[in-house]
Amino acid sequence: MSSDRLTPVQLARQAERGRRFRQPAPYLRLACLVLAALVPLVVPSFQVLDLAAKIAIFAALVASYDVVLGYTGIVSFGHAMFFGFGAYAVALSLGKFGAPTYAHLAAGFLAGVALSATIAVLIGAFSLRVKAIFFAMITLAFAEFALILAVQLTHITGGEDGLSPKLPGIFAVSYEGGRLLGIPVTGRLVTYYFILAICLALFLVMARFIHSPLGRTLQAIRDNELRAEALGFRTFVFQIASSSFGSVVATVLGGCYVMWVRYANPESVLGIHVMLDLLLMVIIGGIGTLYGGIIGATFLLTAQTLLPHLRTVAASVFAGSMIMQRMTERWLLYFGILFILMVFFFPKGVIGTVRDALARRAPSPVSSPPHPASPLRGEEKR
Amino acid sequence: MRRAAPILATAALFLLPLAFMDARTYVTLTVAGLAMGMLIFLVAAGLTLIFGLMDVLNFAHGAVFSWGAYVGFSVALLLNQRWGWAAAPSVPLNVLLLAASILAAMVVAVGLGILLERVIVRPVYGRHMFQILITLGATIVIEELIRMIWGPNDQVMPVPLTFQGSWDVADVIVLRFPVVAIVLGVLVYLGITLLLTRTRVGLIVRAGVENGEMIQVLGHNIYRYFTRVFAAGSALAALGGVMWAMFSQSVRPAMGGEQLIFAFIVVIIGGLGSVTGSLLGALIVGLSYNYVAFLVPKAAIGINMAIMVLILLLRPTGLFGAGK
Repeated sequence: MSSDRLTPVQLARQAERGRRFRQPAPYLRLACLVLAALVPLVVPSFQVLDLAAKIAIFAALVASYDVVLGYTGIVSFGHAMFFGFGAYAVALSLGKFGAPTYAHLAAGFLAGVALSATIAVLIGAFSLRVKAIFFAMITLAFAEFALILAVQLTHITGGEDGLSPKLPGIFAVSYEGGRLLGIPVTGRLVTYYFILAICLALFLVMARFIHSPLGRTLQAIRDNELRAEALGFRTFVFQIASSSFGSVVATVLGGCYVMWVRYANPESVLGIHVMLDLLLMVIIGGIGTLYGGIIGATFLLTAQTLLPHLRTVAASVFAGSMIMQRMTERWLLYFGILFILMVFFFPKGVIGTVRDALARRAPSPVSSPPHPASPLRGEEKR
Repeated sequence: MRRAAPILATAALFLLPLAFMDARTYVTLTVAGLAMGMLIFLVAAGLTLIFGLMDVLNFAHGAVFSWGAYVGFSVALLLNQRWGWAAAPSVPLNVLLLAASILAAMVVAVGLGILLERVIVRPVYGRHMFQILITLGATIVIEELIRMIWGPNDQVMPVPLTFQGSWDVADVIVLRFPVVAIVLGVLVYLGITLLLTRTRVGLIVRAGVENGEMIQVLGHNIYRYFTRVFAAGSALAALGGVMWAMFSQSVRPAMGGEQLIFAFIVVIIGGLGSVTGSLLGALIVGLSYNYVAFLVPKAAIGINMAIMVLILLLRPTGLFGAGK
């Protein structure tokens, strides 16, 4: 490929590649990773480790949701359902077929992924073929259905009580691997690093996905579906591919979640609250930024961990007033208000807003490609 | 013929379960199913009109439903505690209690609807993803407000004495309240249809569903009609909320969310923007839910999903969808 015969796209890519390590973003991401890796070495508290593991899982989960919502522009309310499929598949595989082995663990992940991929393609085929707006309604209905199934099929899923699987070998609670660098190597620690590695791998895969030609097509569909269709892309096939990809990633993360908390019940992995948390995180971090999930998950999960303490404080301060107590109890209300305000005033979230501010302050002298448009900008009328 | 096909198919569906049960059970279930369908229709009608006219998918509709139920609950509780209108064995007082609850709920819902439309929905017209996200955010807030004001737990709805119990018609047990719900649903459907086909406002609204821009070009301020339809849709949702609270004899903060799922299924089956489609869809959902819940209890929710998928396969725009 001679340099004088480059297409505009290739030129843009070259410019992007040249800029890649001159921007703060990659170093910030690396810092997040190093921070997450250091947590168990520096802070011996289980609460902090628990929070760090959940942040890692949810950051990746939000990123996978962002692939569907921010990079493809379709609203799905079934993402938590796929997370739940992964969680239940792994929990069932470990818990229902005798003593847990590594093979059970792998089979659980595989079964979950296969199930999710099938269902995601089916839902997509029913709804996206007609109108992308159906997708929101149908995924919501399916998610509700899955929740009811998980509650009702008590002999398989354990109903409301859920499942508490035991993990095999080096992941088990009882595992003791001596000491390394003065830190006792326990099953928890091994699981933590395993999950961190999976989340890192998933982030890399997702970054590759959105920067691939397929990912670029998806962004084109998001920005102008009619034009993408006119260019000869079968948009609904691409949309199905994207939603299935996001769902499969969510399924793997659901499995990781069960490996960490060793527990799966309908409310914690399938419930509407998981979906609400996910939406809040993606809005706070920034739609269409992929890495916004790290910020969103850190903020929300930290807040949720601290809130119970806040509530006991508030209860002692406002001991006399019933309505004040109720107001402090209803923290979801404040998240809801925050959510609306974010959508109105910072629709690009933290990362998007910061990016815009940076771009305004230092206009690039190179004829760089225009910044990817906000996924929420113009959407052509039906 | 093409327009009659969905109706004929529904009629066939009505009669199919007769093969599996005796006639008395069938009548009881049919009455319950029709009542449930009519109550879902009240929610779905508003949803489908709001979508049809404004292209807004209103996820906050379920929360308005809950608000209606709670306002109705408060009024009914107040009237019953003060004067014992629900417990009194007097038909006029009982009816008055129901009417007062419904009226209060609808008034509050109209206010809530106007507020929602002006503050939440208007800034994001024409942007689907935004609308879905923002109305969902509004749902969280509105539902949490219910929990704050009325508390998070289930409460028992006072049901007027006249509407409790059942009639015994030729050895068939017919519950009273479902009959009231069916009558009310039919009246509402007739009312909406007359409003849409016989009045000037209805004409403009129908034209707006067809082609909003053209209506604006012809000099009508379509945003005013948006607000009105939104308020009317919210009032219908609140009416549905009060009726549902009496039907199930309880109120819960999350009741709206569950009804919204049914309403979505109904709107998809009936076709977005079609009131008649919503009625038919609601009856299909209500009846099949009740029949299947009797025959195979665990499959009850599944049957509605199955019907929805089937209809999407056969008619991607729903039974009466405009196909735009």
